[in-house]
Amino acid sequence: MYGWIWRHLPGNAWVRGVISLVLVLAVVYALFQYVFPWAEPLLPFNDVTVDA
Amino acid sequence: MARARNRIAGIISVFGELLITAGLVLGLFVVYSLWWTNVLADRAAGKDADQVRDRWAGGPGALDTRDGIGFLHVPAMGDGEILVKKGTEPDILNNGVAGYYTDPIKSALPQDKQGNFTLAAHRDGHGAKFHNIHKLKNGDSIVFESRDTWFVYKVYKSLPETTKYNVNVLQPVPKESGRTKPGRYITLTTCTPMYTSDYRYIVWGELERTEKVDRDRTPPAELR
Repeated sequence: MYGWIWRHLPGNAWVRGVISLVLVLAVVYALFQYVFPWAEPLLPFNDVTVDA
Repeated sequence: MARARNRIAGIISVFGELLITAGLVLGLFVVYSLWWTNVLADRAAGKDADQVRDRWAGGPGALDTRDGIGFLHVPAMGDGEILVKKGTEPDILNNGVAGYYTDPIKSALPQDKQGNFTLAAHRDGHGAKFHNIHKLKNGDSIVFESRDTWFVYKVYKSLPETTKYNVNVLQPVPKESGRTKPGRYITLTTCTPMYTSDYRYIVWGELERTEKVDRDRTPPAELR
C-alpha cells in the first residue's frame, strides 16, 4: 500500500520524501481537526457528570 | 504458481500495513485526548478568565454571570484557578472550566442561604481541571471566589466510587455524605478511575466562612 503510493509519487527520492511528509501532516491535521473531535463523544472515556 | 504466491504476499503486506496504520492512529488519539484537548481547553478558559478579571477590575460588585460566575481555588489539587460556568454539557466543560449543574438537580449558588453548589469538571483532557480530585482529604479547603466574596469550604467526605446514575449526591442536603440538615454545601463530581469514566468520584464540602473581597483582592489565609 505505502509502496504503491511511493511508486506513484513524482520526482526523485527527495521530492517524494517531501511530498510524503506533507501527506502525513495533512492526515494528522485531518485526524486532530475533524476525526477525533467527532469520535471522542462516542467513546466512554470522558463522561464526568452524574445523570439519571 | 509464483504469481499466485506473489498476490497472497501482497495481500498480507497490505493487511499488515493497515494494522500498523491503525496502531499509529490509536496512538495519535491518545496524544489528542491527553494533550491536545488540554492545550485547546486551557487556551479557551484562559481567554474567558481574562474577560471576567477585566470586568472585575472595577472592584468588588454584584454577581456577574457572563463568561463565568467566578473561580474555584483548590490548593490540594494544585495551583491555579478554575473558571466556573453555568451548565455541565460537554460544550461547556470541554473548554477547561468547571460547570455547575442545572440538570438533573439544579445547583444552588454559593451566595444562596442554603443549598448545594454542585460542580463537574474533566478528570483527563479538556483542561483536566479535577484531575487530582483524589488528593483532596477531609479538612482541605475549597475556595470559591466571586466578584465580591470569598467562600471558604472544608471537605468533610469523599466517595471514591459511585455509579453515574447516583444523582442523589447532588441533593440540596446530600444525605449520602452523612449530613441531614440543610446547610451550605459544595459537591465536586468527576469521572474515575483516571482515563476512563466507568464510575464517578464525589467530594463534599461545607461552607466554613465567607470573606468580603477587598480592593486588592487579598486572598483568604487558605490560599496564601
